[in-house]
Amino acid sequence: MTDTTVSQRRFLGIPGNTWTLILLGLGAVLTTIDFVLAFFYTPLVVGAQVAETRIINGIAVSNQLLFSQKIFYFHVPVAIGSFLIFFFTAYYGVRFLMTKQKKYDTRARIATEVTLLFVILTLITGDIWTRFEWGVWWVWEPRLTTYFIMTLLVVAYFVLRSSIEDEERRATYAAVFGIIAFLDAPISFAITRLIPSSVHPVVLRSGGGLTGMQLLAFLLGLFGMLMLAWVVYQVRLREELARERIEGLKAALEG
Amino acid sequence: MAETMADTTKSAHISSMRQFKAILKKDIVMELRTKEMLTSMGLYAVLVLVVYQIALSQAGSSFDVLRIAAGLLWLAIIFTSLLGLNRSLVHEKDQGCLDALLLAPVDRPVIFFAKAIGNLLFLSIVVVIILPLFYFFFLAGKPLGGPLWMLPLPLIVGCIGIAGVGTLLATMSVNTNGKDLILPVLFIPVMFPLLYASVAATTAVLIGDPGYATVYWNSIALGAGYDAIMLLAAYGLYEFIIGA
Amino acid sequence: MTDTHTTELALEVRDLSRTFGARKALDGVTFDLPKGAFLSIFGPNGAGKTTMLKVLSTLTNPSKGTARVMGLDVVADSVKLREQIGFISHNPLLYPDLTAEENLEFFADLYCIPDAPARIEELLTAVELEHRRLDDVRTFSRGMTQRLSIARALLARPDVIFLDEPYSGLDPHAMDILDSLISQVRDQHTFVMISHDLAKGLELCSHALILAKGKVVLFEEKEAIDPEAFSTTYRETVGMGVS
Repeated sequence: MTDTTVSQRRFLGIPGNTWTLILLGLGAVLTTIDFVLAFFYTPLVVGAQVAETRIINGIAVSNQLLFSQKIFYFHVPVAIGSFLIFFFTAYYGVRFLMTKQKKYDTRARIATEVTLLFVILTLITGDIWTRFEWGVWWVWEPRLTTYFIMTLLVVAYFVLRSSIEDEERRATYAAVFGIIAFLDAPISFAITRLIPSSVHPVVLRSGGGLTGMQLLAFLLGLFGMLMLAWVVYQVRLREELARERIEGLKAALEG
Repeated sequence: MAETMADTTKSAHISSMRQFKAILKKDIVMELRTKEMLTSMGLYAVLVLVVYQIALSQAGSSFDVLRIAAGLLWLAIIFTSLLGLNRSLVHEKDQGCLDALLLAPVDRPVIFFAKAIGNLLFLSIVVVIILPLFYFFFLAGKPLGGPLWMLPLPLIVGCIGIAGVGTLLATMSVNTNGKDLILPVLFIPVMFPLLYASVAATTAVLIGDPGYATVYWNSIALGAGYDAIMLLAAYGLYEFIIGA
Repeated sequence: MTDTHTTELALEVRDLSRTFGARKALDGVTFDLPKGAFLSIFGPNGAGKTTMLKVLSTLTNPSKGTARVMGLDVVADSVKLREQIGFISHNPLLYPDLTAEENLEFFADLYCIPDAPARIEELLTAVELEHRRLDDVRTFSRGMTQRLSIARALLARPDVIFLDEPYSGLDPHAMDILDSLISQVRDQHTFVMISHDLAKGLELCSHALILAKGKVVLFEEKEAIDPEAFSTTYRETVGMGVS
């Protein structure tokens, strides 16, 4: 049973393969424009406001006008992207459990790979931001903590997969764990956010009122990232299917 | 092909309650007979406390253990439960007994509940042992910040979550190549929110800082929310993994 | 083919397949088995014999096709079907830390047997283990464990009994006991057995099935089998090795 991907179908008369290239181009262009905009044109924003004044690293911090806040335009899109893709891990996991068709397991695995990529990027950008803003390399604040836990969950997913030889069991267990992990991520965020802690400052960001240029930069970044995520997913998927077809041919020749 | 609309789910004489009690009773009897789980869990807990003593020995006399006491306690509970969860499922794997369970006309969720409640029972026994020991070793003489009756609640909420989700994850990990080693990798990230809430609630009671009641009830509510969502998920997903 | 649950057939298998990705464990298996028959399944390793038994005993689901055991569908009516199945494997499927009696009590509860104490008594006597009822199964010899395993399988008075290489690892004495037990209950049940022992399998069976690479190579009633041709086919198939 051969598996077809989006690339082999047509949308609006243009074959899927071409769409991937288009989106790749568009995504790259958007992200670059976003980069330029973010660093040269958007006005500086009032940086993070802490719930109350804190002493971090020997400096009293309440709010600061920060150039480093620019990384917001990358960090947040990547963060949102990683969570959206993680949703597909759970979604394909559910489809697999319902139908037991291998193709859903393949897709879930690739979605998780892309999630891993994005969540590591989120951690890196988040870490850089923290460094510039607070002067320390790591703060156990809700977002960063949640993304760290998410990284651990995704890594656990792959550790689980690699420790099972039987294909069907591997797919089943991965699907179940993927669903559990996806449920766990937002709960982690909610709980670290809602329970006050002296060590984990709850940092409120002025994400609400983005004006003109800022909004543009943000949206460009978001869509650019999502397109790139899609492209990475499709490329990986095609690679996987090609590999499966080769293995199918090999088995047929031997058998 | 005409199908008679008979009751095709199961015969009338099949009683889930009887099956549930049988599985639970079997696990308890087996444990009492071998005492493997309880002794190793109990011993492990005591050893963890000894290691804590070593860790705290250089902390200085002005160090207030109370601040991290809840964390230490929950840490001990988590690591001990990892041990216990694994053992409870190894029995079934031996001798192919799990197949025997699966071949019987038992609804899979019944197996889940029986195993989870069995694990909860053993975990509770260990907590009952650890708690006074912990108090004796580290908190003797220090007054409790909040009322005593508030102390058991976070323990109950936490242990329920550990038992439920832990049973699901342990059933998976026991069937992998990594066996025991995989369980912590899966368990700790998934347990993180519950652990966080439980430690917060327990600290609130132990220290009794002003406003502790709000933090306490907040955390309990969030922990209970975690339990509700995750246990529902575990219950729904269990039948997929137990047959795989 | 009948279409009610009061069927004459113990097994109705139609185009049964079980695949995952590119791997085919079972491929289009079709056959019927009447009630009261004894089916011996032969085939090389990896032929799909264990998978077939797993599908028929509801441990796994097929990917395609249907199978009915005693008129009940293995997927749709699986819980009800399990009430009527007994399974004996080379694994004893018993708990070593419980006594013989406790083991049987446990399974009696699982199957919700109404007259449990009496039935347990009856079976312990039949397998000649009443004198060891209070001993942990851990202390039993392989032969004794296998006998208790049979008692376990027969507890719920199943209509169909599946045997997965029950003779493997048994010494001749234990084999004799197993033989005698099977012959005692032979007429009351339908049997489906996987065996690597050609002679034994042929001796006991009324129907024979050879599987290779998930497909049916041969399915015949014993009377219709020409021993020479059968052994040739058997040797060739088993010699084919893993799929």
